[in-house]
Amino acid sequence: MEASDLTHHISRRFNKDIEDLRNSVLAMGGLVEAQLARAISAIVSGDSELGLKVAKDDHKVNDLEVNIDEECSRILATRAPAAGDLRLIVAIIKTITDLERIGDEAEKIGFLASKLAGMDRPSDAYRELKSLGTHVSHMLRDAMNAFARLDVNDAFEVVREDEQVDQEYNAIQRQCITFMMEDPRSIKRVMNVTWTARSLERIGDHAKNICEYVIYMVKGRDVRHTGISDAADLEPE
Amino acid sequence: MLDSGQKFVLRLLLLLGAGVLIGWLYGRAEIGLLLAALLGLVWQVRQLLTFERALRTGDFDAFRVGEGIWQQMFSRFHYAHERGSRYKSEYRRMLKEIRKSTNAMPDGAVIIDAENEIIVCNRAAKQLAGLKRKKDRGQRVDNLLRDPGVAKLLRANDPKQSTDIASPVKDGAWLNCRVVPYGASEKLLLLRDVTERMALNKMRRDFVANASHELRSPLTVLTGYLDTMADDEALLATWEQPLAQMQVQASRMAHIVSELLELSRLEGAGRATTEEIIDICDTLALSRKAFQGRPDTAAIEIECESKAQLRGKSREIESVIGNLLSNALRHTPAEGRVTLAWRSGPDGADLVVTDTGEGIAEEHIPRLTERFFRVDRGRARTDGGVGLGLAIVKHVLTRHDAELQISSDVGAGSEFRCHFPAARVVVDPPVPLAGGSQSA
Repeated sequence: MEASDLTHHISRRFNKDIEDLRNSVLAMGGLVEAQLARAISAIVSGDSELGLKVAKDDHKVNDLEVNIDEECSRILATRAPAAGDLRLIVAIIKTITDLERIGDEAEKIGFLASKLAGMDRPSDAYRELKSLGTHVSHMLRDAMNAFARLDVNDAFEVVREDEQVDQEYNAIQRQCITFMMEDPRSIKRVMNVTWTARSLERIGDHAKNICEYVIYMVKGRDVRHTGISDAADLEPE
Repeated sequence: MLDSGQKFVLRLLLLLGAGVLIGWLYGRAEIGLLLAALLGLVWQVRQLLTFERALRTGDFDAFRVGEGIWQQMFSRFHYAHERGSRYKSEYRRMLKEIRKSTNAMPDGAVIIDAENEIIVCNRAAKQLAGLKRKKDRGQRVDNLLRDPGVAKLLRANDPKQSTDIASPVKDGAWLNCRVVPYGASEKLLLLRDVTERMALNKMRRDFVANASHELRSPLTVLTGYLDTMADDEALLATWEQPLAQMQVQASRMAHIVSELLELSRLEGAGRATTEEIIDICDTLALSRKAFQGRPDTAAIEIECESKAQLRGKSREIESVIGNLLSNALRHTPAEGRVTLAWRSGPDGADLVVTDTGEGIAEEHIPRLTERFFRVDRGRARTDGGVGLGLAIVKHVLTRHDAELQISSDVGAGSEFRCHFPAARVVVDPPVPLAGGSQSA
C-alpha cells in the first residue's frame, strides 16, 4: 500500500474522511511529541513549572484520542471499509491508544520533573536521562514519520532501535542501584530517577508498537511478538 | 499577388484544363480529364508521403522535393518546430538556474497548496527539516512537521506570524517557520535555522541572571556591615555622612540587582496565568496608600470607573502600578496631580496613569522602555530612579497580552495607558459574599 492508494475511492467523501482521520492521528502524534520534548527538558533543566504544565496539558491528548476513536467507529459503521482501509482503521485505533499512553508517561515524567527540581541535583544534570530521552524521542519521531510516509523500512529501524533503549535503561537501573547502596539518603531522589527512566523506556515500547501497526497496515502481516528476524522477508533490501 | 492557396487551386485547374484540352484534341475529353486528375493525385500523394516521412524521422533536410504549397507548409512547420525547441531548451536552462539558486538558498522553502500538501521543496528544506524531495510530494507538510505550532501557523496563514520549532533532524537545533501565501491558494513555508540566535539569547539571559546573582551576595555583606557600623555609637562624627551615603548607594544597587533579576525572570516566563482574578480598584487604592503622605509628593487621585476585574498575576500587576505611579510622582511637582484610572469597554479595559508633570519629548517616547534609558542623563542618579521600571512594566504587560501606549505634551504632563484585551477582563464579577448586596 502506498500513500497514493489512500485516495482511490469513488466516493470523494470517503477519501476525505480517511485522509482527515490520518491527519488528525499525525496531529495527535505531534502534540505527544511536543509533550515528551517538554517533559524531558523539564527534567534536564530542573524546571518544575514546565513539568507541571506538561502534566496539566495531558488532557488535550486524551481529548484527541476520544475524538479520533469516535471518528473511527463512525467510519466503521457507515462505510464498512475493507482490505487496506480496514487495516488502516484498525491500525489507527491501536496507534492512538499507544499515543495516549505515551502522553500519560510524559505527564508522569512532568510530575517527576517537578519533584526532582526541588531536590539536590547531581553534577551531571541527569545526563543519562537526557540521552535516554533523546533516544526515545527519536524513536517516537521516526515512528510517526513511518506512519506518515507508510515507510516499512523506517518502521523496522525503530523496532530494532528499541533494543538499544532497553540496554540504556538497564544501565541506568544498575547505576541507580549503586547510588542507593552508596548513600541511602539519596534513595528518595534516585527512586524518582528510576521511575523517570522506566517511563521513558515504556515510551520506547509504545513507539515500537506503533511501528508494528505501520508494518501491519502496509504489509498486512502481524509482526508483534514474533521477533524481528522472522519478519525479515517483509523488508525490502 | 496571389497567395499560396489560390496558386495551388489555379495550378490544379490548369492541369485539369490541359488534360481536357489534350483529350479534346484526340476526341476523348473525359479520358484526358481522368488522366490529368490521376497525375495530380499521384504527385500530391508523393508529396504527402515525403512530408510524413520527414515528420516521422525528424530528418527535415531530406524533405527537399517539396514545392508549392507543400514547400510552404513544410517551412512553416519547420520554423515553428525550431522555435519551439529553442524556447524549450531556454526554459529548461532557466528552470535549472532557478532550481540551482533555490537550492543554494540557506533557508528552507517549501511550496504547498491549499490543502497544505507539498508541491516542491528546496535542498535546504531537506537538510533542515528532513523532508524527502520526491517521496514527500503530495504529503501534507504538517504531517511531517508535526509541531502543533506549525499547524497553527498554517491555519493562520499570516506572513507576519512566525514560530520557532525544534529541528526534527538535529538535536538542539531550532527552526523559525513562516508561512507566506501567494498566487491563488499556494503558500510558501519558509524555514530558517535560528539555533545560533536562540543560543545567543539564552546566553544573554543567563549572563544577566548569573551576574545579578553573583552581585547580590557581596552586596548583602556590605549592607550588613554598613548597618552595624551606622548603629555603632563609638563612630566618629566625620564618618557619619560618608556612611549614610554608602548605605543609600548600597540599597540602590541592591534595588537594581533585584529589578534585573525580576526582568530576567519575566523574560524567561511565557504567558501569565489567567486563573487569578485581580480587583484593580483595590490594588489602586493600596498603591496610593503606599505612596501618599511622603514629603513633597503630588496629590494622587483614583478614578475607578469600572467594576471589571482582570485575569493575571496580581504581584506583577501591582508592580506595574507601583512603577508607573512612582515614575509619575517623580516627574510631577508637589503641587501637581497624578490620576490613576481604571476603565472598561467592549474591547477590553484600560489602566491609565496621568500626571501633570514636565512631560516627555516625543523623540524619547519610543525608547522609554529600554533598560537603563534616561531622558536626562545628568539627573540620572539623583532622583532615585533606576531605569528598569518601564522595562519591567513592558514585560509584565506583554505577558498579560496587554499594550503600553504613551502620550505626552512637554510641560503639560504625560499619560501611560495599559490596554488589556477583552479576553483578560472579567466584566461581571461575582459579588463577594462578605460584601454588601449590590443591585443586579
